[in-house]
Amino acid sequence: MKIVVRLGLLVAVVALGFWLWTIFFPSVEKVIQKRMIALADTATFDAQANTINRATKALSFIGYFSSDAEIFVDLPGLGSHTFSGRDEIRETANGGFATIPGLKTTFLDQNIRVSADQQTADISCTVRVIIGGDKDSGFEEMHFQWRKKDGAWLITRAETVKTLK
Amino acid sequence: MQVENHSNVRPHWLQVLTIGRRPKNTLIRIAVLIFVCGVTFKFILLPIRVEGISMEPTYHNHQVNCINRLAYRRHEPQRGDIVSVRLAGESVMLMKRIIALPGETISFHDGRTYINHRHLSEPYLKNSCDWEAGPFVCAANEFYVVGDNRSMPFNLHTQGRAERERIIGKLLL
Repeated sequence: MKIVVRLGLLVAVVALGFWLWTIFFPSVEKVIQKRMIALADTATFDAQANTINRATKALSFIGYFSSDAEIFVDLPGLGSHTFSGRDEIRETANGGFATIPGLKTTFLDQNIRVSADQQTADISCTVRVIIGGDKDSGFEEMHFQWRKKDGAWLITRAETVKTLK
Repeated sequence: MQVENHSNVRPHWLQVLTIGRRPKNTLIRIAVLIFVCGVTFKFILLPIRVEGISMEPTYHNHQVNCINRLAYRRHEPQRGDIVSVRLAGESVMLMKRIIALPGETISFHDGRTYINHRHLSEPYLKNSCDWEAGPFVCAANEFYVVGDNRSMPFNLHTQGRAERERIIGKLLL
């Protein structure tokens, strides 16, 4: 009986150790997932959000991009646009966050592929966007490339993906 | 001397209504039902809700339907099939009709569809259309998909060539 109790305790300690390990040393996938959730949260604000709140969100949003980041957007009816570098992204984000009546962003179906050296990660996902109080959502397939820079994961490239060519 | 015959004891009507006359059998039935539903809706049928008007009048906004995942296990998608095309995953999909098959050339002139320069009869179209576009050539693994509501401008209607691996299945109803 003693042995069974000791074995049980051992299993519990190992499980606890493993759980703590995953908490203190999360996998790259987990880190990226958390960053994506935080990014979606940053790109979400309601119509009542004041100017300061919006500016703070925009500033926080820019913080997810590296200084040499590039965003390629090609949307039906809006044409294609490229935003290069953090300054251009900042300008666009500030303008967008200030004028959009409200925004709710969600990243669905995240497929994360981490490079062998664990320094870059590619994510394909579906972005759901609700602007203002619209009942209908807008959906777009997107690809993000994240790179680890000075210990922080930053987006170096974001682009819309054409589901239908 | 009294002998109780349990098999003749009638259970309370509330018990019969909630867990049946034989709870054990009811439990087994529930387990089987959950298993069958789980397998069906995970591997065979995918429940969906239509969002948008691009398939009007064939399918309406907010209509509920199912995707048959097994439809293309034995044969490839056919012209006229209404299929679901996945985006990054299966949370959101496009629902479109296949009008051109791999290797074919498609074009739209004066709202009429031409496949390899021959007119395609489309009795399911009810709205007027004035599209002028193409030609587009489908590669070996591509199908040209488009909605049935072509009353909107060509560049605002989501349509184009879908890779075979993106086609999840065929609409059931």
